[in-house]
Amino acid sequence: SNTKGIPAALPSALATARIIDDIGSVQYPEGILSPKPELNTNAKDGKFRYDRDFLLQFMAICKDKPDMLPPLDAIGLEPNDQSNLAI
Amino acid sequence: QEVDMQAQAEGIRTVFSDPTNFNVKHPLYSPWTLWFDSPATKGRNLPQTPISAFPQTPLPQTPGVAAAQGWMEDIKRVISFDSVEEFWGLYNNIIPPSQLPQKANYYLFKEGIIPAWEDEANKNGGKWSIQLPKDKNRANVDKMWLYTMLAAIGETFDPSPTTNGSNADSLITGVIVSTRPQFYRLSIWTRLAPSATEEDGLRERIEGVGRHFKTSVLGYADAAKLAGPLATEVEFLSHKDSEKKGKAAKKIII
Repeated sequence: SNTKGIPAALPSALATARIIDDIGSVQYPEGILSPKPELNTNAKDGKFRYDRDFLLQFMAICKDKPDMLPPLDAIGLEPNDQSNLAI
Repeated sequence: QEVDMQAQAEGIRTVFSDPTNFNVKHPLYSPWTLWFDSPATKGRNLPQTPISAFPQTPLPQTPGVAAAQGWMEDIKRVISFDSVEEFWGLYNNIIPPSQLPQKANYYLFKEGIIPAWEDEANKNGGKWSIQLPKDKNRANVDKMWLYTMLAAIGETFDPSPTTNGSNADSLITGVIVSTRPQFYRLSIWTRLAPSATEEDGLRERIEGVGRHFKTSVLGYADAAKLAGPLATEVEFLSHKDSEKKGKAAKKIII
């Protein structure tokens, strides 16, 4: 009866990817902006700061639904129109 | 040496070089938790949500936080995340503010801080906020909320989060978007609020947060006047002054 917590799928790349520990050493493909270096001049322990232009580049790539995201209707988080219809 | 660097670079695969088999992710300055509430989440016997199911949600037994628990019962913990990649996976799978029902709120707070002023991290703080008429801003609010979240998780609201050696915590504890029948409200919560007596540069730092919010995040001119019917300026109020309701409230306006 204790099967709720067992993930059904294989771990995603997200689950197994390791944390970048030196943001300055990462080389991005051509056309991809690095984070502004002045935000991380004294960064340590993975405490990195990121500018908006850098962050926006992930929007079109990272689209997979997080494994831990609960069903949105279960927490009442539904688009306006649908929640009206449901009632 | 050049070969070594190349080999090292080849070992690192970001989502940009391999969207499905990347092996590194971008850690955030702090882990964050998204919370949500709306009239539909209140008083309904919903399935147990992670707020009660996850023991790591800290509820220290101080009177203030005990009082906040009643308030927190109606607020649903959606998810926590600690990387840029996870943030976008979440963002791309939930609904934006313009599609939320009325009287709903998203609360994005640093993990371990509950979105209530009673929390230790909030009780000496305050908030920058702006109220925007709904009809004129329906098309803008989603982008404004996204940019607010990006400044929060990217930790760019506070220009110097780590300058005070002793205090490595940044000023920001969380950000909120609220939908109301006639308007939207966006808020930035801070850990501290300037007082009238002490002048330790805190007011300047708090004002820096407000100015960044107004100009860089919301996209207004520094000198723009924003108040009007259903609209406010970008204004700061300490949580302690908010309790006083009006009279003694000393707002800072940017």
